[in-house]
Amino acid sequence: MWLIGFRDLQWRRRRFAIAVVSTALLFAVSLLLSGISASFNNEVARTMKELDVDTWVVPAGTTGPFTSTNLFPASVAARVAAIAGVARADPILLFHEVVRKPKPKDVNMIGFTPGGVGQPHVTQGRLPSQPGEIVVDRSFGAAVGDVMRLGSRPFRVVGSVHGVTYLAGTAAAFVSMRDAQQLVLHGAPLSTAIAVRGTPRGPLPPGYERLSNSAVRADLGRPIASARSTISFLNVLLWIIAAGIIAAILYMSALERVREFAVIKAMGSANGFVIAGLASQAIVLAVAAAVVALALAKLIAPAVSLSVEIPAAAYVELFVVAISVGLLGSIAGLRKVLSVDPALAFG
Amino acid sequence: MVTATRHDRLEITDLTVEYSSGGYSVRPLDEFGATFESGELVLLLGASGCGKTTLLSALAAILTPASGSIRLGELEVVGLKRAALTRYRRETVGVVFQAFNLVPSLSAVENVMLPMRAAGISTRVARPRAEHLLGQVGLQERMGHKPGGMSGGQQQRVAIARALVHDPVLVLADEPTAHLDYIQVDGVIRLLRELAQPGRIVVVATHDERMVPLADKVVELTAHAIPESGPPETVTLAAGRELFRQGDAGDRVYVVQEGAIELVRGRADGSEEILAIAGDGDYFGELAPLFGLRRSATARATKDTTLMSYSMRDFRALVAPGSVAELMSHGANTEA
Repeated sequence: MWLIGFRDLQWRRRRFAIAVVSTALLFAVSLLLSGISASFNNEVARTMKELDVDTWVVPAGTTGPFTSTNLFPASVAARVAAIAGVARADPILLFHEVVRKPKPKDVNMIGFTPGGVGQPHVTQGRLPSQPGEIVVDRSFGAAVGDVMRLGSRPFRVVGSVHGVTYLAGTAAAFVSMRDAQQLVLHGAPLSTAIAVRGTPRGPLPPGYERLSNSAVRADLGRPIASARSTISFLNVLLWIIAAGIIAAILYMSALERVREFAVIKAMGSANGFVIAGLASQAIVLAVAAAVVALALAKLIAPAVSLSVEIPAAAYVELFVVAISVGLLGSIAGLRKVLSVDPALAFG
Repeated sequence: MVTATRHDRLEITDLTVEYSSGGYSVRPLDEFGATFESGELVLLLGASGCGKTTLLSALAAILTPASGSIRLGELEVVGLKRAALTRYRRETVGVVFQAFNLVPSLSAVENVMLPMRAAGISTRVARPRAEHLLGQVGLQERMGHKPGGMSGGQQQRVAIARALVHDPVLVLADEPTAHLDYIQVDGVIRLLRELAQPGRIVVVATHDERMVPLADKVVELTAHAIPESGPPETVTLAAGRELFRQGDAGDRVYVVQEGAIELVRGRADGSEEILAIAGDGDYFGELAPLFGLRRSATARATKDTTLMSYSMRDFRALVAPGSVAELMSHGANTEA
């Protein structure tokens, strides 16, 4: 059964090559989309780890520090720090900025207290030690020593972090709390959240509530949830199109081989033998497309502006999907094969 | 389970095959009977459409007859089910198809291996057997060639080798010389003759009369017209009686003298379609004797009717001494 299927693939190799490449492109795009979707999830985890906060304190009613901008006096941090179970509490100011570089580019700004909770861990260079210094994520594209303008103020890049992005791959940039307040609050001593080391065991100041890391993570993932579900939906569409390509190729092949199937049946072959031949072609075609897709995805990924982090599970999923798509696509051809009357062999 | 043995005879009794074509019921074989002995080379002769291929299909158990029996020794072929049917097709009968019907993507040796692989025989066993058979048909040098790279005669020999993989008791060949030139025909005819040895029956459907001298038995399936047979006769039919039935052989042409004959054709669903009513002075039934065809409709009296029955020669002299076209254009039903 494998022999006849394999030989037919060789016989019609150009057609099958076209089908493999077309299907592989779809699978590659599917892989890239999975990688982008996974990176949306991974970046949240990385950013949370980078800030290394145990508990977040925000004004009551705030869904999360990264998605809401509810300003309150930074001095509240001192009151929180005095609560039992709290080792340290520092104000944080989170806001969005656009840098002209020279084209406008978005950046997620994080104002932190030097030496306090929420201070980044630079992978290159150093932390800001004086006004006008900034640490940016490597994905932003600024090197240590570069100068970038935030509003009307120039900032010198003194260090970089790696993998600290959120809200669909937007790079994070760290400045001192004082610089952050100067940039957006004209120096007003306000903050958007309090980063706490430890777990408050007493009551918080009135009008404030604590948020766990999991609540913050969920809130940070919420704005991109629709993007992720859209990606999942597009993936399913891509798989359906792939199944359509395989179905068209195999059905065409089945139509051309009606006499051949009739002869094989007339020789006393069970339907299973004939079906297995065609189904094996579908699997070979789909798996070959999946293998080519792996290479294509690796080639294309660097050209994608968003971070692509294809998880190992996506590779396994690709092969499972490929085989399923192949078998699904072969249904029309298989039905044709089953309907072939062996008497046609005499026709 | 009953199986055929090497010394069995093939007995065909009252075999009727009926199928639907264009919504009408067609009966290419009507109560056909014959007996073929082990070792015989049997030729089924006849023009296209006379039922040769239909008979081969029935013998190969690919087509189920409406009635009748095909008996190979103790094995009743008609009505075989599933495993027994598969076993019969696979082991008892080998078929050489008209257009070779080789798988184009497979080499000669792979084509011969195919029925063995389909039967679950390992490649290790199937390949040497296929190579041996190809050697027997003189193709040891072409084993790796695909059908597209071989001549018609070579392809036909591959097809014959393929039909022999299970050393079948019954070998069926459908028009084995149809696509061959005269040089290739010679080799294929010799091969088929050699196959017909005690222990095997070879049945060949052909319209190639060059094979006749080599045959042990010739079965003519053509519905012969006998234009010269008999003088004109008067036929009387009571209302409702049939003059002839659809599928019958036809050798006479009829002219209605008094009364009426309806010409009806059976549909696949069992109903009838009236094609024409032949009244006083109308004639019908000229095509069957003219072209050696079977009756394509049933003729039935709708009331007490008197007809004159003519041989084709007498009728042409009487009605249309000119052209056949003129004769056909005046009939009540040009198809009956």
